Amino acid sequence: MEDSEFVIVGGGPGGIAAAMEAAKAGVEVTLVDENERLGGQCFRQFEKGFKVVDPEALGLDYQEGQELLHQFGLMEDKIRYLSKTLVWGIFENRTIALARDGASSTLGFKCLLAATGAYDRPVPFPGWTLPGVFTAGGAQKLVKSERVLPGENILLAGTGPLQLVLAHQILEAGGKIEAILEAGNFSRNWLRGFLGIWGNWDFLKEGLRYLRSIRKAGVPLLQRHIICEVHGEGRIQEAVIAEVDRDWRPKPDTARAVEVDSICLGYGLVSSSELTMLAGCGHSYDLRLGGYVPLRSATMETTVPGIYAVGDGAGVAGRKVAIEEGRIAGISAARALGHLSGTDAAEQIKPCLKRLRRIGRFRRVLDDISLPRRGLYELAQDDTIICRCEEVTLKQLKDALAVGILRMKDFKRISRMGMGPCEGRMCVPSVIEMMRHRLGASAEDVGCLLPRPSIKPVALGVLAAAGTAERKTAHGSSRS
Amino acid sequence: MESGKESKHMRTGGKRVSKGVERGEPFEIEVDGEKIVAYEGETVGAALLAAGQRTLRYTNKLERPRGLYCGIGLCQECRITINGVPNAQACQTLVTPGCRVETVKSLKRRES
Repeated sequence: MEDSEFVIVGGGPGGIAAAMEAAKAGVEVTLVDENERLGGQCFRQFEKGFKVVDPEALGLDYQEGQELLHQFGLMEDKIRYLSKTLVWGIFENRTIALARDGASSTLGFKCLLAATGAYDRPVPFPGWTLPGVFTAGGAQKLVKSERVLPGENILLAGTGPLQLVLAHQILEAGGKIEAILEAGNFSRNWLRGFLGIWGNWDFLKEGLRYLRSIRKAGVPLLQRHIICEVHGEGRIQEAVIAEVDRDWRPKPDTARAVEVDSICLGYGLVSSSELTMLAGCGHSYDLRLGGYVPLRSATMETTVPGIYAVGDGAGVAGRKVAIEEGRIAGISAARALGHLSGTDAAEQIKPCLKRLRRIGRFRRVLDDISLPRRGLYELAQDDTIICRCEEVTLKQLKDALAVGILRMKDFKRISRMGMGPCEGRMCVPSVIEMMRHRLGASAEDVGCLLPRPSIKPVALGVLAAAGTAERKTAHGSSRS
Repeated sequence: MESGKESKHMRTGGKRVSKGVERGEPFEIEVDGEKIVAYEGETVGAALLAAGQRTLRYTNKLERPRGLYCGIGLCQECRITINGVPNAQACQTLVTPGCRVETVKSLKRRES
């Protein structure tokens, strides 16, 4: 495939904003996205077949997304957009590997932006692998863009404002929620929340709207409550919930069973930083930001020159931050590629920085309340699965620690943890926490599993198809 | 407790809602030889959920049921056979008229 000056991986708000800014400055942009349609998780569009008749019924963020996508549409002729295209590797010679239409190919770049987003933090506890237990993000996709409710009587458990968004969407769609469990304690922190939201009226308005619809529907919003277990044979019959202390440990004698058929779990998000890790960018571990996140300069550049990272994939902060960061990265890349002068770039970045600073204040308050506490990682029992793909149990981890295993990569070697098709996404974030709490070590001491190409499963036939395509190109052109 | 599919009484569904949208064309798809209705624009995972089929496969080692989990193409728990192609992601694959979906038995069951 023909090279591009600026390749953007990820078509969510951050990637779209960056593509538009860079293209405006005259940069040749290629935007690569895995999905059928642009928007990422939060601005996900309906697939062909659905017809939107009442956008208001679909919520504020849907409308906000439509506006951004509309603006992108106006610039479409200036941006090369590759949908249904998986980026499976990045190599030293400024090349990424793509899987598209059943064949693999490569794409060269001068600057690259990882706008790869985030996913729900997986938390192992007894019964979490049963069908009917969804992540909040997965449930949200079902409700928002497939218009299918996850079940008939739903329990929401987790922490943070995204839970309220999901609850609101389920209720708006006519679903029934048994209760919403919030592990943190938001009630005592509302005042700090108000202090932080200066200049962020829309955040507050949005939040209050969700709280109102939850209250109106009579759904209990239980603060300092956690889901401990799910029971059922083949399908969910009940969930055991309990009140928790400050460390999110269940208080004695507070456990009770609730009858539900579906559970949505939203314990915050984990950054998808596989691509920047694979590119050799420096990362640091910060649970508040979503685990391992790339180190970045003020221009959103990582420690590898020419590689930028924005949005939730570079530290979880939501769509508004992603858009501003995306703009900054787009402008910075245009500057680096010689399409903008230093003064012009600085001038264009200024308003984005101002908006970012304003949003930042609200974020910190929420982060404090929603930061996963150690009790969350003590819910698993000996026979609880901690690696879903390879069916590794907590007992295996305990046994490994007992014989002196100190690092995750060593645990992987003896257990196969992290070696299945999810490539560690569903186990590594929680195993880091379980290991560091049990060992009294830092996350850096425990380490993580370094991603390897392919960073997502690619069929052998797709890779084999690449060989033929590449040989043909080598014949016909001078590219080596 | 493994069977090719869940028995009728065990099915609790996901319900389709139409607020704000009109659905695409309805058509039939085949799930383990049984016909269910799906609508254009839905993923296989959503169509199965709406039909009450939550279990999509059984694991190889412990033969435990799994279904949609992350829903956004990462966890790979919804691997299923679609039109004869194994390991297709139910949460990412759109339904097409007449498509054939097979839920996945554990390795031991497949071999026996």
